[in-house]
Amino acid sequence: MNELKTTILTNDHLELKAKMAPFAGYNMPIQYSSVKEETLAVRNNVGVFDVSHMGEFFVEGEQTIDFIDHLIPNDYKNLSIGKAIYSPLLREDATIIDDLITYKLSENKAMICVNAANIEKDWNWISAQASNFNIKLTNHSDEISLLAVQGPKAEQSLNSLGLEVSDVPTFGVKSFENGIILARTGYTGEDGFEVFCPNEKVKELWSNLLSNGVIPCGLAARDVLRLEVCYPLYGHELNDELTPFDTGLKWTTKMNKQDFIGKKTLETYNPKFKLIKLALDKGIPREGYDVLNSNGDIIGKVTSGTMSVTLNKGIALALIDSQKVPNDENYLIKIRKNNYPAIYLKKPFVVGGNKK
Amino acid sequence: MSNTPSELKYTQEHEWAKLEGEVISIGITDFAQSSLGDIVFLELPEVGTTLDKNSAFGVVESIKSVSDLFSPLAGEVTEVNSDLVDSPESINENAYDNWMIKIKPANVNDYEGLMSAEQYSTFCDDN
Repeated sequence: MNELKTTILTNDHLELKAKMAPFAGYNMPIQYSSVKEETLAVRNNVGVFDVSHMGEFFVEGEQTIDFIDHLIPNDYKNLSIGKAIYSPLLREDATIIDDLITYKLSENKAMICVNAANIEKDWNWISAQASNFNIKLTNHSDEISLLAVQGPKAEQSLNSLGLEVSDVPTFGVKSFENGIILARTGYTGEDGFEVFCPNEKVKELWSNLLSNGVIPCGLAARDVLRLEVCYPLYGHELNDELTPFDTGLKWTTKMNKQDFIGKKTLETYNPKFKLIKLALDKGIPREGYDVLNSNGDIIGKVTSGTMSVTLNKGIALALIDSQKVPNDENYLIKIRKNNYPAIYLKKPFVVGGNKK
Repeated sequence: MSNTPSELKYTQEHEWAKLEGEVISIGITDFAQSSLGDIVFLELPEVGTTLDKNSAFGVVESIKSVSDLFSPLAGEVTEVNSDLVDSPESINENAYDNWMIKIKPANVNDYEGLMSAEQYSTFCDDN
């Protein structure tokens, strides 16, 4: 068995008696106090997640914009300097290698933040695409720690530590002299920041945040939070076999762009699946459970499911066979031996984003 | 250290059992509720259901996990705690006050074969 990797803060998590578990090859904190308390801390106040396992690549050089605009389907070319953009990373056949956020640090420099489980796969793919471009690609994943400070009070928490963030707009990026790069982004639906911090400075930042009353939150709460606002998770809603059109990411594919990897395939692509949102009054849906139409025929599967802490009901994202999407919008989820009626929703279960 | 009252019997699946007359109450241990975290859902059998020893009699779910409940003994379900189904979070507050089912054991002598509090504590420490 391979030794689990640690983050700079692993000992801090152990001291806080966090429940730890392997995640993407790292020994990561799953919960500290309780999933419920941590989730509500982020919805109502402010919490901090150690997500240092995530990967960071830098692209530098005069063709940085051309390269990234070719690499991803979303519109990097017209993005303002100092802003970030979400996008999947596609193969020529439009299947999804990963989903990532690209930060336009300057005309000639960008940072790409990728999922921990996909660092090597993304690196191999992105380097292979770079040969025709005058750019330099570097992997800084092992030198950068990442803290996500999330919740309505995230802004005042960072301000009080001397990281002035009030001037940072949503999806805005700011670089500090001490090497910290932060962006007003996150994976919880709440206002908040992702703080990319040089490894040697992260222990101090973590302990200052906790001293200021920011609640340490684990990956379990993070998963509940992202699912409540219907953000997809690679390995669940997104994978190597699906395209953006199968899984609710059409909005990230700018088909009017001159070119991007995967565009040709998508021009004539008929979706195989539809990603839908289902809520249950009774029962908790889990990944892998069958989704049925009102006749009881299996038409899809739950990709992520949990008890929503905010709503106190079961919620799920599910991939439905695009040929079998029922017109009546009546769905059932099979939980063990019983079929439970599910409510089909067009909008996310929870809408966050308040500031205090 | 989790709490293991000495008057109860225990299983390796982290259930507790308590003999009262001819009936045995069954719940999950403090160790189990603590490992599960916030308990949000409980599914229990109907009164009259016949259970084998170690057979699954229900399901307990936390926000992020699903676990089967196993019967410590063979027997017939005589009572189900339906109040607990409506407020499963009570298990987190006190695992031993909140029984889930009562059974009339097929052979009451089997009760003595379950783990003592001391044996169960050692078992938890070793795992």
